[in-house]
Amino acid sequence: MRKSTLLVFMMLVVLAFTGVSQVINIWIGGQVAELDETWEMIVGKFEEETGLKVEVQLFGFDIYYDKLLTALQAGQGPDLAFADLGGWVPTFAEKGWLEPMGALLDSWDGTEQIWPNLWPTVLHNGERYGLPWYTDCRLLLYNQTMFDQAGLDRNDPPATWEELVYQAMKLTDASKRVFGYGVSGTKTEHTTLAYIIFLYGAGGQLLTDDYSAAAFNTPEGLRALKFYTDLALTYAVSPNAVTYNEDDYRNMMAQNRVAMAVGGPWSFPLIETANPDIVGNYSVSLHPYGATPASVLGGWALVIPSASKNKDNAWELAKYLTSYETWMTWIEAKGGPMPSRQDVCFDSPVLQDPKWKVIFETFPHAVSRPPIPEYPQVSEQIQIMIQDVLLGKVTPEEAIKTAEANVNAILAK
Amino acid sequence: MSKLAREEKTAFKMVLPYLLIIVLLFVYLIGSNIYSSFTTEEGAFTLQNYSNVFTDPVVGRSMINTVVWVIGSVLGQLLLGLLVALLLNESTKGQIIFRSIILILPWATLDIVAGVMWKWMYNDMYGVLNDVLVKMNIINDYIPWLATENMAMISVIIANIWKGFCLSGMFFLAGLQTIPPDLYEAAEIDGANSIRRFWRITIPQLKPVIMTTLMLTVIWTINYFPLIYIMTGGGPGYGTETVVTYIYKLGFRFLEFNKAAALSNILFVAIFAIAFVFLRSIAKEEAR
Repeated sequence: MRKSTLLVFMMLVVLAFTGVSQVINIWIGGQVAELDETWEMIVGKFEEETGLKVEVQLFGFDIYYDKLLTALQAGQGPDLAFADLGGWVPTFAEKGWLEPMGALLDSWDGTEQIWPNLWPTVLHNGERYGLPWYTDCRLLLYNQTMFDQAGLDRNDPPATWEELVYQAMKLTDASKRVFGYGVSGTKTEHTTLAYIIFLYGAGGQLLTDDYSAAAFNTPEGLRALKFYTDLALTYAVSPNAVTYNEDDYRNMMAQNRVAMAVGGPWSFPLIETANPDIVGNYSVSLHPYGATPASVLGGWALVIPSASKNKDNAWELAKYLTSYETWMTWIEAKGGPMPSRQDVCFDSPVLQDPKWKVIFETFPHAVSRPPIPEYPQVSEQIQIMIQDVLLGKVTPEEAIKTAEANVNAILAK
Repeated sequence: MSKLAREEKTAFKMVLPYLLIIVLLFVYLIGSNIYSSFTTEEGAFTLQNYSNVFTDPVVGRSMINTVVWVIGSVLGQLLLGLLVALLLNESTKGQIIFRSIILILPWATLDIVAGVMWKWMYNDMYGVLNDVLVKMNIINDYIPWLATENMAMISVIIANIWKGFCLSGMFFLAGLQTIPPDLYEAAEIDGANSIRRFWRITIPQLKPVIMTTLMLTVIWTINYFPLIYIMTGGGPGYGTETVVTYIYKLGFRFLEFNKAAALSNILFVAIFAIAFVFLRSIAKEEAR
């Protein structure tokens, strides 16, 4: 009996200590989660300045969503967390898992420096629930060596859909398994992202402005769907589209097998790891468009879970991480990703490289994915629509009609 | 209970804490799953979740897919496993240990690793499978293994057979080694050829093992999730969407926890029924 009393006592002691501790737990996911020692340096400085203790946990992208979701649902998340700008913030906010941040953001002088088109991604019912931290937008990534070999100008990538088809056909040699453009067609988010670029590039839009209904079944939306799938079906400039997405194409591009595909700032270190010889022989440009320049943005925001017992300090840490000085130090050390602060983008000497200039010029054209909790289901319908056309199961006209009906049913719930 | 020997009582006491924890966890999890399947997000009682499941066309599709996936995988695993066990049974004791270790490797491979590996092998730009088949002149051009619904299903089943056949093989091998050799000797003297010996002695003697293995592999295959998730994500279209991949998608991607709970309860009942039928026929067999 005595042993068990001791055990209970010890457990109580442990509980008491964890209950009153002033440690700020931060969960970091996404691509910056790999940059271990940089976090130590930056967080160490914060601990020194404030005397607070910060506990950093890094998660790979594959498991992060499930991990965060389970923790938030159980009401035991971290004090500060990274959330993907692809619809996570409004989804979590609707469940009541996040702390509103509008008043805090209004009181902070850094708020006005955040790229304005990032705010819709953290908005839910008119309230802001996150502070965007880093961002990116999708561009055309292309292999300049392959442009040279096909007799094309390595500094003049296609700007319009007509030029895209023309150049992609010149670059394609199907008998050697060399292709001009990679059409993403897997049942993953990549496919939706690609369609959004073509859709907005044709002058269409995905949902109505109030996100209450589908808006892509228009002549523009159909033109985008037809053109996107025709790249694979009619012009045959892509590897087998339903099995690959932009990540696969980037690896093929590193091996000089695919000349163009959707990519972005995150692609630079990855393609250079896949083939170190490609340095200086690839570049990015605004993705070719049909009617208007278009791109789609992504990135990560800092959010404070409502279950946190340490919200004030979490906000202090969020402000510190998003400050001008921290970001300048970060970029100096790592060269990326793209800061959510405009002043850092334009001031940092590291970001004056021509590839970054293209990104900053494209960024104002970038739209966000609909920031609504139903977005993952809407996205799946888009993926099914594109796969059904690519598999030849239905015509584009039928596919877009079915997808519109399904999306409307999802949004009507 | 009074008949229990002293040692048995001690043994029960020692097992009790673990038993309690397992039962409590099981009861709690099943209970909360049943509870949430009958409630709305606000906590009110409803049957809506179940009617949503039955009206969802993807559920029907995923059930058909699950049946195909289970029949294909289990048949392949059992037949290949039996073949391997028969071959191994011919070896000497030392060889059996050595060869079993090699054979058990697919089973010991992590699910994620196996999934990624097969995905790369099936790749139609630089996959090793196409390369080997072309070099052996079996096919003329690269096959896009995962690019159509039916091919994708066949491809994931092949991968799953590879992953699981060795375990069935090990079960069968253990069963084969319990068959007394004098049965075969007697049959040989009576003039039965090897095919007759196989059908008349090996199969009947192995039947209890076959039934148990069949039950276990059926249940495991229904619940097996990582391979499909890694290789196809349920696609193309809904070509390889099984009930478990769809439950995952409902819960973790669409956040429809209650609907996911309803569907997993239905699956639970189905698996329970399958296990019940099997266990009853095994019990009958033993009683005979």
